Amino acid sequence: MTGIRDAMVYSELEEIVGQEHITAAEPQRLVYSTDWFWLPQMWLDRGEELRKPDAIVHPATVGEISEIMKVANTHRVPVIPWGGGSGSQGGGVPLYGGILLDTKRLNRILEIDQKSLTVTAQAGINGTQLEWALNEKDLTLPHYPASANCATLGGYLAPRGSGTISTKYGKAEDLVLSMEVVLPSGDVIRTPKVPNHAAGPDYMRLFLGSEGTLGIITEATMQVDYQPETRRFRALLFEDLGKAIEAGRQIVTKRLDPTVIRLYDRNSTVTQVKRVLGYEYEGAYMVIGFDGDADISALQEAKAMEICTELGAQDLGSEPGEAWWNHRYDFYYPPQTLMLPWMYGTVETVSTYENIERLYWAEKKAVESTYADWDVEYIAHFSHWFHWGTMSYSRFIVKSPPEDAREALQLHNRIWNTAMTAVIENGGMVNEHHGVGLKLSRFMRRQHGAAWPMLEGIKNTLDPNGIMNPGKVGFGAPK
Amino acid sequence: MTQPIATLENCRYCLMCRHVDPLSHVTFDEALTPHGIALTIASQKRGLIDWDDATIELVFSELDNDNARAHCVTDQPFSDAVAAIKAELVEAGRMPPAVRKMQEQLETHGSAFGNETFATESVRSDVGLFVSDEAHTLRPGAVEAAEKLLGALGHNPAKVGGGRNSGLLATSLGLTEVARKHARALLDEVEAAGATRIVVLGPGDRFALTGVLSERLGMPLPEGIQVVELSELLAEALQNDALDLDTTDAPGPFAYVDPTFAVRAPDRHDHPRHLLQSVWGEPPLELFWRRERAHPVGSGAIRFVRPDIAAKLTDARLEDASTRGAEIVVSDDPATLWQLEMRAEAHGLQVQGLFELLAERLS
Repeated sequence: MTGIRDAMVYSELEEIVGQEHITAAEPQRLVYSTDWFWLPQMWLDRGEELRKPDAIVHPATVGEISEIMKVANTHRVPVIPWGGGSGSQGGGVPLYGGILLDTKRLNRILEIDQKSLTVTAQAGINGTQLEWALNEKDLTLPHYPASANCATLGGYLAPRGSGTISTKYGKAEDLVLSMEVVLPSGDVIRTPKVPNHAAGPDYMRLFLGSEGTLGIITEATMQVDYQPETRRFRALLFEDLGKAIEAGRQIVTKRLDPTVIRLYDRNSTVTQVKRVLGYEYEGAYMVIGFDGDADISALQEAKAMEICTELGAQDLGSEPGEAWWNHRYDFYYPPQTLMLPWMYGTVETVSTYENIERLYWAEKKAVESTYADWDVEYIAHFSHWFHWGTMSYSRFIVKSPPEDAREALQLHNRIWNTAMTAVIENGGMVNEHHGVGLKLSRFMRRQHGAAWPMLEGIKNTLDPNGIMNPGKVGFGAPK
Repeated sequence: MTQPIATLENCRYCLMCRHVDPLSHVTFDEALTPHGIALTIASQKRGLIDWDDATIELVFSELDNDNARAHCVTDQPFSDAVAAIKAELVEAGRMPPAVRKMQEQLETHGSAFGNETFATESVRSDVGLFVSDEAHTLRPGAVEAAEKLLGALGHNPAKVGGGRNSGLLATSLGLTEVARKHARALLDEVEAAGATRIVVLGPGDRFALTGVLSERLGMPLPEGIQVVELSELLAEALQNDALDLDTTDAPGPFAYVDPTFAVRAPDRHDHPRHLLQSVWGEPPLELFWRRERAHPVGSGAIRFVRPDIAAKLTDARLEDASTRGAEIVVSDDPATLWQLEMRAEAHGLQVQGLFELLAERLS
């Protein structure tokens, strides 16, 4: 930090968290300048400077966070909440510098209620560590995102994340019963710890998807489950993607309660599945899974297989299904994940069954035809299924993007514009579970239309100085 | 030999081993994760950050415990890659003062601890007992116990290693040349002894005689020479009724602390546990950070570069044991025991060396 004001801020923060838990050292400022969003990673990869946080603080208590908020408001300094840094949308990028508030010291499990089946933990706890602790009591938090090894509990909730088995157990937001939140003012609120209620609007939901722009989630009570007696998987191959989507629709709407339906389009099957799992299938590879009671899940699987067979699926047996489950996170390890110097983006979307196939083809066509000169690849899988629709986890890949960082940024944003326009025009949402962050900020007004000023009003009321994670979720710069 | 840049380019934006990263679990510092360290190095190569004191200290704070690699689906040798970068920095004369001091210490005395090494005896034996500086200086009782236990198995081992640094600490600090010097001496001793099997006291030494010699130094043991942990030999003998140990009740609830590098040797996890059960009649309490996800105490290079972090790592293991209800912590690796002993009293815990305990219980 430079200048007397910055030095004052640093000094006040140091008084709150202690000398050991604040830094403005260059390596830390560099590392905390990017999250898992391709754009800032590419920026650094090309040797370009990013805006860095002015200081990184590691508070250990809610009280300390509250005090930090007061300092930030007094001096009108941005505060960027940080969990595991695994967000793919740039939600953790300190666009305007300021105080980067790392929540990882708030990592305690406060209570495991084995009768009500809940766990209450601080928001900075690591996802896999929380899961291991629950497993020791034969419980599980059925939110298995690919980022579990690095994400925090707060990071599960703030961007409304989905995990691999969300089809049965719901998204993170469906598993949360209660939260403690520090507001930008420094006030601390706690939502009621009950299964549900009708005592007025559910203001807890306001903070789900707010990505640190309305407050900082510091604690959550989550619904947990017993570890399932069994998990079983089956793999199938469809010639026709539409029939595969229809199979998924029927499995879900007939309430067969699948743990997972993972459907890869042809391109994804011949590239990703082959590269990571080693299977050489031509068509749409689908994995269906069931868990719980052994007899019931066997019956559910049999019923699901009837549906799939009826729709022309080839039964590949259980081994390729089990293999997918056992290696489901392997897709994210370098060098077999998408990585620089490639350009890539997850232009995922969600819509109703009525729309989703049309939406998939529209987005694919728009991206592939518009950027054919760049040999763009479009791949997708359908991984989170609801009673009314499903999501398309679609991605674009450009293997030889411009070397110049600014040209690469421009191409990246153009592809995103094309994809999101196709999404919105075909009845989809710009995002199902990765959140908005910086990446999708510019689409929020268009996505939400007349509702957007209302959201801006809420933001202005809660955070009048605009200090909370500025430039994210469609909200603007600090005031 | 490691291709450090390729590995670090892979690791710089990978967060997949964060859940088992001991360093950031006690510092909470993103920059001290494998991702953070790799990104720092990659950014230096891109001209975004200088090799100043803060950056150099960060790189030299890497734990070198291989938890990252043990949990990496694509087997990225992260610690080896960082060790190679440290070696480059040392060669360029850019190292923290503590490393420079250790360089002088190792060059002068051969041991990281004091000035006591020993000349190898002219014993020829097909079994060598590797004695590092840690064992020789920090835990001589463990060496005596190991000799006694090997004797009970019918072996008269030739001691090799001379009480010098095993090369693990040296390469962890980028001190490749001194590590090579010690490695040459070790290879000569092994040849002179005619040993075909070298017994080590823990997984750290096992890694030193395998991974460090072959991958970091390019000086592997001659083909056909087996490196085996003493706990494995003893567990095997116990199972085959070739070892008799007296059983008594444990003096209190006890937990086993997996030493550094245990994560890279999953086949070794049961051995010390079986041995403990055989003498104390019940299995040890398990730490949260155990077996395949074991976290080290601060017994490696970190205790010289960042003793404050080393203390935190040790405290975390002791707190883990205490939370589990243990009154005694047991381990086999001399440096782990040494580190535990330094801080156990504050946690109300006693420390017990596994081999000393077993040697006392020989029937």
